[in-house]
Amino acid sequence: MLESLRVRRVGYPAAVLLVLATIGILKLFPGLADSSVALLLLLSVFLAAWIWESGPGALAAILATLGFNFFFIPPVHTFSVEDPRNVVALVVFLVSALLIGHLSALARVRLRLVETERADLAAMTRLSQAFLSDTNRESLLGIAADRLRDALGADHVSILLADEQGKLSRAAATSDAGTREDLAELAYRQGNSASFPSESGGTDIYLPIPVGVQRAGVLVALGLKSSERMAEGCAVLVGLALERERFLRLARAAEETRTNEEMKSTLLATLAHDLKTPVATARAAVENWSAQAGPSEGSRLAVEQLRFLTRRIGELMEVVRLDSGVARPRREVVSGAEIVEAAVARFGDALAAHSLFIDVPPSNNRVEVDPSQLTEALGHGLENAARYSPAGTEIRISVSEEGKSAFLRVTDRGTGVPPSDRERVLDRFVRLPAAAGIPGTGLGLAIARSLVEMNGGKLRLMGASQGGTVFEIELPLAGGP
Amino acid sequence: MSRVLVVDDEAGIRKVVRDALERAGHEVETAGDGEEAARLLEESDFALVITDLNMPRMDGRALVRSIRKGSAVPILVLTVRQEEREKVRLLDAGADDYVTKPFGVEELLARARALLRRAETRGDTPALDRWGDIEVDRDARTVRKKGEPVHLTPTEFSLLTTLLSKPGAVWTHRQLLAAVWGTTAGVTNDTLRVHMGSLRRKLEDDPNQPRWIRTEPWVGFRFSPES
Repeated sequence: MLESLRVRRVGYPAAVLLVLATIGILKLFPGLADSSVALLLLLSVFLAAWIWESGPGALAAILATLGFNFFFIPPVHTFSVEDPRNVVALVVFLVSALLIGHLSALARVRLRLVETERADLAAMTRLSQAFLSDTNRESLLGIAADRLRDALGADHVSILLADEQGKLSRAAATSDAGTREDLAELAYRQGNSASFPSESGGTDIYLPIPVGVQRAGVLVALGLKSSERMAEGCAVLVGLALERERFLRLARAAEETRTNEEMKSTLLATLAHDLKTPVATARAAVENWSAQAGPSEGSRLAVEQLRFLTRRIGELMEVVRLDSGVARPRREVVSGAEIVEAAVARFGDALAAHSLFIDVPPSNNRVEVDPSQLTEALGHGLENAARYSPAGTEIRISVSEEGKSAFLRVTDRGTGVPPSDRERVLDRFVRLPAAAGIPGTGLGLAIARSLVEMNGGKLRLMGASQGGTVFEIELPLAGGP
Repeated sequence: MSRVLVVDDEAGIRKVVRDALERAGHEVETAGDGEEAARLLEESDFALVITDLNMPRMDGRALVRSIRKGSAVPILVLTVRQEEREKVRLLDAGADDYVTKPFGVEELLARARALLRRAETRGDTPALDRWGDIEVDRDARTVRKKGEPVHLTPTEFSLLTTLLSKPGAVWTHRQLLAAVWGTTAGVTNDTLRVHMGSLRRKLEDDPNQPRWIRTEPWVGFRFSPES
């Protein structure tokens, strides 16, 4: 704006000189027709308006009309007009001169605006290209400050970013020049920009850096020479670049986790295959042999031990899966009844020596869990009940709904767990002295607890009213139908 | 006597499964991977294919898909995975049943027997099915238990005859919904479970410990011809 003002101040005397020079030249060559005189004067008005724009253009138009009247319309050297037709000519001349001056000035202003905008656009494009080619936060901010200063024609540019608590700190700057913290704070909090004339000429501006509907920080430009709109565009660009860098970082981290988990998963599957295949072969071989040679105590024992070994391998694999984080629950909405049905179908064999009661009232107790994991957890409860209660006694499975929770319970008539041990026995490798003669690793209940907790539930052991133990899984009911 | 193809990359498993099947009076061919199995299946007919899941080159699932392109031969898959989703994928790909390693030989033979019986009766589905004390007359659409008529709703009857069309084979929830309701949209596994429960109450001596209609946890149901 300052530059054009300066030009305009020179403009008024320059426009006057241009018109007077034109009149002088016309006086030197008196042979010219009246129409040519008028056209040449209009040309001078056009040039004055084109070069110095509207004010000097209008002055030139009026001066040219007066000169035309004084020097060329008879009686010459007076402002009076003799012939009424010349009055009309003079008025037409004045209107034409003003119009030409106005249009010419307007065209010039438009052209200048278009040029500025094109230059701004080109600068923004260069900036965005620079930002997009950089995926590192530090170097991105470093080059951003320098490039913004050049693009904005500012004396100083700094980028302030907010941390998680919303505190602003300088992330990049082109110099040590001081910026006003209160204005930056205001721009960040309210999301409005603040600008005022700079001491060194130009404008000082504090602009919020938008990221979606939030703000990432503040862009400060001191001694800004280009338009404020351009500066606002730059702030948006910085926001986009920061956002892009954040998404890239998140995507990279997610990809890394995924590959890692897939690799572990494949390794564990191979390991399970390698451990179980020899056992499967051995078991089938013993069974084939006993089918041929007739059943014997030895083959029965071998099969029983191999079955036991299989279960232990399964437990160890489950522990490894839990520890390596690949056992993430895949939740769906199911009913407690379905979990009980599935657990009985899969682990029912272990309960063959007991009398099983299933108490599942028809109700709509929906829970959102990984069905397989909950079946597995309940299965450990069933196995535990079968193992630690005498053959022939009752094992009861029940589902009930109390408050906002569903309860799956396995109640046995065994020896029970002393109250002081009921928490401890859910830890890994903890086996109570009472379990000394019974095979087991002390992993089953610990696995069950991990699986239940992973699915947002709680596992506890309690005393049953008639002696024995209650294995209780509490799960939050799924909201809605 | 039926010809059975056993596919496993472990020689030990091939040997024990072959021994068991031969003891049961079947003729057995073996293959070490899916590609070899596919070749043998092209050369001659088998009444049953028993295949491992984890194999080099062509694995079990790829083999199942390739067999189902041109053949209805019953397929029994040996798997070490407890994972239901993998089982559902296998069954949806066209497998009929699975046995989890390490399996009992008797269990394996029982599953094989059930699938072979289907292969033998294929083509001439008898109008009258008799399973223990249950009689199913497809033409008259009537069912009797211990000689007494049992009233089934059309959905229950349709579920029963669908299961009976492949005795011994596991039907996934999705397959049953598609076969009985004609769509999997709008019908949930819960609906299926309710109808199955009601069917069981009418046919089973003890619906809590069903003898005929077995639940495959989180996978589906099967009609078990073996006790």
